[in-house]
Amino acid sequence: MADRRRINGPPGGTRPPVYASLQESTTGAAQRAQRQRQPAELRKIFLQTGMIPTASGSSYLEFEPSASLAAARANPKSLIPPSSALKVACTVHGPKPLPRSAAFSPNLVLTTHVKYAPFAARKRRGHIRDASERDLGVHLETALRGAIIAERWPKSGLEITLTIIEAEDDRWWGDAPDSHDASWGLMNVLAGCITAASAAIADAHIDCLDLVSGGVAALVSDESNSASSIPRLMLDVDPAEHRSILSACVVAYMPARDEITEIWLKGDSSRAALEKGDDRSSHEALIDGAVDAARGANTVLSEAVRESITRSIAQA
Amino acid sequence: MSNQRQASSASQVPHLSPAELSYLYTSLSLPKNPIRPDGRSPTQFRPLSAETTILPGTNGSARIGFADGTQAIVGVKAEVEKTVLAADTLDSRSLAQHGDALNREGEEGSAAVSGQGEWVQMSIEIPGYRDDDALPIFLGEMMRESLVGSVENKEEMAGGLKARLVINKRWHWRLYIDVLLLSQPLSYPLPLLSLTTHLALLSTKLPKLKSTGEEDPFFDDDWAAAEYLYPRSKPSSGPFHPVRPPVTILVVSVGENIIFDPNREEISVADAVLAISITRSHDSDALKLLSIRSIDPPSRLTQSGIPNSENVNMIGSTPAENPSQEEVSGVWRPRRGGVKRSVVARMIKTVLGKGGVGEEVLEGLEGVEVH
Repeated sequence: MADRRRINGPPGGTRPPVYASLQESTTGAAQRAQRQRQPAELRKIFLQTGMIPTASGSSYLEFEPSASLAAARANPKSLIPPSSALKVACTVHGPKPLPRSAAFSPNLVLTTHVKYAPFAARKRRGHIRDASERDLGVHLETALRGAIIAERWPKSGLEITLTIIEAEDDRWWGDAPDSHDASWGLMNVLAGCITAASAAIADAHIDCLDLVSGGVAALVSDESNSASSIPRLMLDVDPAEHRSILSACVVAYMPARDEITEIWLKGDSSRAALEKGDDRSSHEALIDGAVDAARGANTVLSEAVRESITRSIAQA
Repeated sequence: MSNQRQASSASQVPHLSPAELSYLYTSLSLPKNPIRPDGRSPTQFRPLSAETTILPGTNGSARIGFADGTQAIVGVKAEVEKTVLAADTLDSRSLAQHGDALNREGEEGSAAVSGQGEWVQMSIEIPGYRDDDALPIFLGEMMRESLVGSVENKEEMAGGLKARLVINKRWHWRLYIDVLLLSQPLSYPLPLLSLTTHLALLSTKLPKLKSTGEEDPFFDDDWAAAEYLYPRSKPSSGPFHPVRPPVTILVVSVGENIIFDPNREEISVADAVLAISITRSHDSDALKLLSIRSIDPPSRLTQSGIPNSENVNMIGSTPAENPSQEEVSGVWRPRRGGVKRSVVARMIKTVLGKGGVGEEVLEGLEGVEVH
């Protein structure tokens, strides 16, 4: 499904040259980013609502850049950034009446639209949504539909549009894909999208059961020989900081009800080693880890929503 | 237009009245022994007929028909293709040619050895849906991610399906899996499509390679000598654990009960719907979990019933009840919110456990004769 209406840039993307001497040098231009955080420590989140005045609700979310990315920005040694940090803008339009031609719906009709900006990832994205973006949209819809009290708006529609301004990498840019390679960056993007969309929905004053937030946990192995090493559980992983990710899980979680509205787990989690005395299976540990990460994101989310309410009261 | 609204979501809008939904929910949520509309036990699957290698023009194919008339055909085709490393990969091989003492992190040309997930392409065609609608894309991604995500450490299938597609450092196979649902999607089509894909991949054969090493690939033109994509040679000693493609199972929870392979009516009252992909583990009898995805329960799209106490037509004929009462028995009200972690854990355990549903499904599929 090629986009034939526009003149597009090359599909493969281009990259600045990397010289072999650069590899060797100790300047660290081609050095893998290292995780500086504790296994259970989350990245800081910037979340603000009401940035887009024409929408009924909007939010902007940004993850803290990793330590190596911050260092590379302050003191650039190479044209290639070592990792990337998520930036998402979310707008909510509605609730508004469904078009005349639409069939009757007793509930609020939710439409989610996730789109990467063409410049969001290292490889250029087209203007038409591809399969992974549509897939993300379905995941997001599942996550939000569980939280919104839809029967309060019959015959109405709600459009949620997310633009990914900067996406997470799937792996370190210099790595060739290994056997555990998959689109791990998508999972972080989904978690960010859930939190951002939840803030925007609250900003639009749509009734929800609770603020739903997203969290990611993953089993990672940092040894070069992945067969012998024992994978460890980490929260809120940046795929660029790890040699290989074996399995990851995203949840959308509502803390007040202790319920999960969306779960997406993938990868082989059978070889994980948990702490002694922990008799959970590894997939349960992954889900619990993701819920912990979502709880962390929820503190930021509730603070952002409080700001949004204060602002709307001040305006009234 | 109602069709279009259906397509915007990955679940289908149920066409049942609130009274019917309430009746179904009550009978399915009976403690311990739910009563299903077709009299099955909670873990029983629908009867099906299956055959493999039905399409002579493909590398592997299968057809499965359920008793309710839904049918699916899957054809697998393979093509030889030149391996291209992504443009943004720091290819340590070409750098090493300069004689630099680079530390070659990882294996040499690991992309060429371990394969890439993009080499497996899946397309799903469901009547009434466009190919860019949410449902076919969601189903396709779900089945593809468990296919390429299964990584074995056994000799003949080291690295899983992706690595099996590698011919040598410069050439690989590209696999096209085309799924065709022949009938209208009467129930959520995932179990049907997943089982059919499993059988088609089991019957897939690739021509026998005659060239060796880094030569351009050259194949034996005798189709009888072709090798199975999923090898089935029995080891001379030790227990036999065949490598098998993954299977995705649809599980719903209704009240306290967990029900497998729901039909259209059952899924429309479900509290939570999970799709769980499993495969056989390579070194033991246990099953391995490959992926879990939650699916939007269609019950959220239904209209809730109105209790008599709130019904304008019934004013005066019923004793006034407390209007703030949330649940009235016998009146349908779709479940709000999500699912508890304990329920998710219980659903996974029923699939993976010893003698559980997963084993039963895989054993049933073993019973299908693959030519």
